[in-house]
Amino acid sequence: MSRWLVSLCAVVFALLALAPVAVTLLRIESTDLGTLLEPRIWSLLARTVGLGLSVAVGCLLVGVPFGFLVARTDVFGARFLRPLSIVPLLVPTLLMAMTWTALSDLRGSVATAGLLVLSYFPLVSLFTARAAERIDARQEESAWSLGGLAAVLRADLGAILPASLAGACLAFTFAVNDFSVPDFVSSVGVKFNVYADEIFANWSQFERPGLAVATALPLLVITLAALAPVLVLRRRGALAPVTSSAIAPATLPLGRLRWPATLFAFAVVAASSLVPLGRLGWEASGGPAAWRPVAVRAAIAGEDAPPAATAPRPVAPGSATTGTASMAGAVREPALTFDERVAAAPVVVGRQLTTFAGAFGKAFDRARDDVRRSLWLSVVAATFALALGLVLGHAAERSRHGTTLLMAALIPIAVPGTLFGIGSATLWDGAWLASLTGGASTDFYATPAMASLLYIGRLSPFAILIVAGAVGSVPKVSEWAAASVGAGPVTTLTRIVTPAITGALAASWICVYAFAMRELDSALVVPEARRTAIVRVFNGVHFGRDEYVAALSLVLIFTILLPGMLWAAFSKRPAKVLP
Amino acid sequence: MQLLRRRSRVLVPVVAALVALTACSGPEPDVVVYTAMDQVHSEEILLLFQERTGLSVRMEFDIEANKTVGMVSRLRQEAHAPRCDVFWNNEIANTIALANEGLLEPYDSPSAADIPATYRDPEHHWTGFALRARCLILNTERLGEIEEDPSLWPSSILDLESSPWNDVGSVARPLTGTTLTHFAVLYNLWGDDEARRFVGDLVADNANGGVALTSGNGPLMRSVGEGALAWGFTDTDDFNVGRLRGYPVERRFPDQGEREMGTLVIPNTVALMKNAPHAENGRRLIDFLLSKEVEELLARADSAQIPTRDDVPRPAHVPNLGDLRAMAVDWERVGADLPRVQDDLKQAFLR
Repeated sequence: MSRWLVSLCAVVFALLALAPVAVTLLRIESTDLGTLLEPRIWSLLARTVGLGLSVAVGCLLVGVPFGFLVARTDVFGARFLRPLSIVPLLVPTLLMAMTWTALSDLRGSVATAGLLVLSYFPLVSLFTARAAERIDARQEESAWSLGGLAAVLRADLGAILPASLAGACLAFTFAVNDFSVPDFVSSVGVKFNVYADEIFANWSQFERPGLAVATALPLLVITLAALAPVLVLRRRGALAPVTSSAIAPATLPLGRLRWPATLFAFAVVAASSLVPLGRLGWEASGGPAAWRPVAVRAAIAGEDAPPAATAPRPVAPGSATTGTASMAGAVREPALTFDERVAAAPVVVGRQLTTFAGAFGKAFDRARDDVRRSLWLSVVAATFALALGLVLGHAAERSRHGTTLLMAALIPIAVPGTLFGIGSATLWDGAWLASLTGGASTDFYATPAMASLLYIGRLSPFAILIVAGAVGSVPKVSEWAAASVGAGPVTTLTRIVTPAITGALAASWICVYAFAMRELDSALVVPEARRTAIVRVFNGVHFGRDEYVAALSLVLIFTILLPGMLWAAFSKRPAKVLP
Repeated sequence: MQLLRRRSRVLVPVVAALVALTACSGPEPDVVVYTAMDQVHSEEILLLFQERTGLSVRMEFDIEANKTVGMVSRLRQEAHAPRCDVFWNNEIANTIALANEGLLEPYDSPSAADIPATYRDPEHHWTGFALRARCLILNTERLGEIEEDPSLWPSSILDLESSPWNDVGSVARPLTGTTLTHFAVLYNLWGDDEARRFVGDLVADNANGGVALTSGNGPLMRSVGEGALAWGFTDTDDFNVGRLRGYPVERRFPDQGEREMGTLVIPNTVALMKNAPHAENGRRLIDFLLSKEVEELLARADSAQIPTRDDVPRPAHVPNLGDLRAMAVDWERVGADLPRVQDDLKQAFLR
């Protein structure tokens, strides 16, 4: 690979992905570090690590069997279940939380961990599925002849567990940095604060970026420690592609277990993808309000849904109150009978369809610019990240300093999003830029370009890691052959390597695009990134969402999933996150 | 030469990409407004101004999670090179803090002439308009199951620590927004010791499964409306959204008895930033926001804000200020004590 091209990309990567982290460290003052001695901080940290470990274990318990089943066995619908299982990874975790809390009484720490498992188990199942596909058929045949399916499963588990653990490490990393789900889920019941909450509060509410950075250090160390095993496993070949001499394993027949296994796989996909999407659709149609007894009875009587009343009803000396018309005193509206439901169904469903269309109309009307901005920023970020990923991912796999490069790539992933955002804002809003351009760039911080740089820096490591993995599967000899006939490094990269890893390149573009569309924590710090669809949804959810917010959430999810769906529909090569 | 040609194949796209990135800066706005008011309520008002004047308005909304304080923090950080012309805050304490720090430019808007003096800074650094009040949102169904007589339902902030209401009551975690302001005022009224005792009781009660500490006033309204919680403290604008949604809810202003403290009434505030890049357009926007028309629009909107002027028409569910027993608040002192109280609350609630 051309040294100067790698150097150029490395400098760009260092500037966009590493410099923001370095800049944040410079903001720490000695007094800030004193905060780390507070018992309260350590208690928060311990709770957060506990949450991360619970999520990692939960992801293993769900992701390992699911990944194995859809990749290697004859469960019904595996072809569809496997791509569907990736959906929760691309859907903002907050949406997962808001739909499940609306559907159930799930609250508190256990519910938080459960919801994060539903969001992040695909990390484990992805790794597991690819590892399971890489097992040599001869190994399985030997195991089968010795002890049937049970022996095969035992042998396979040993082979796939390192890869699954790598996925669990990533799940841990994502879980410990999430503060929106714990906050939202524990709105009712015992409050469940996490460490990322403290970091965000120190920055946004107490205006002490240095303190925010100092508080983030323990979490950063823990996250890096959790990610290091992924690289170790990679070096040991646990995540390596199949060798040319390996024989692809056959589909395992589950026999009597086929139906229970299928039910399990469907249940996982239903809980993590279909239920949240279905609930959002229900909310967009005004479902919860449309089927209230008082609304249904109004529908039967051919009336509009009852208007909210405004009549004051004094209940205590000197107090002014307002109650709804349907409430005469404190009497609960009688529940609906089956006949009432049947009689009202055509009218109520008609009203729901009208509400559904209205909600989407309102979502497009209000959030058109935000969705457009999100799309544009994400496409720019994904494209730039892909270019960086191609060069640096290749270098990471082929050069002597590959491990160093991969370690560096982990840093932006390990840093809490808020912290990365603070670093980017500090870097690009600095006096140095103004002096460099004679004051012309003082507004750079508030431009869309700034938001693009934030996303590229934060998310390009995903492209680097995916491409590095894929380059490992390209025989070095083909690159040597190209070089021997006079092809330059760039030609080799574009003509030899790129065609061989098209699936991985597509996956890295889709991955960065999707993560940029749903990026919230770091986006909250940068002005233009705050004018995006995800932030509008976030605000809507907190305000006490209505049909329009549910519709907007569905629009957002659709736009996140769109490139992946288009690639799957029109490309013959599957998008491959793992080699 | 060949080397140069080879490198140009890479350099050209790189340079083109950098140029494209730089070009993403968009057109220069005519006026920039930062607002901590909920986007769903403020956006339409600002769009109306844009439509009327033809000026392009750059709107920066705060996010719910760091209401007000995030925006104020940003204004401080940008003080060396201001980008914002007008700050439309949804509360007053932080605006006063900015004024005390010299970040606001005095402007005596002609539109504010008939706004009561209580809501105007004597030095014209800021002007208040369109109020919200802290209120109780009561789920009549849930509370009816506990106590049939509505006159015995919660009616005071002290009910947050009285049985049986504490087990089904709620308040947003007071780290941001109006709940933070509310608690800062309580510190001011009760004194630090009593306020700390109250806060300590709330936290301990929550740990025992009592009072719920929600992530904001909006989620609290929703949880009460859906019956997950029976009652709680919220703002009148949040309550009104619940009412419009048809939840079985009732509004009650707390502590309205003769010797009681009354309810907290919080005005929106608007201010011109010092060294605002588009100061003249900023003044036009401030004149618009302080007009009777905007107060009426905000009263009729879902946010149901209470006009400061008695003669502004309003729907029946929006009360007159004269109907309420409002807290007497020394906003200057509350603003000055805010950082200390904030730190106290963080120690208590973020653990």
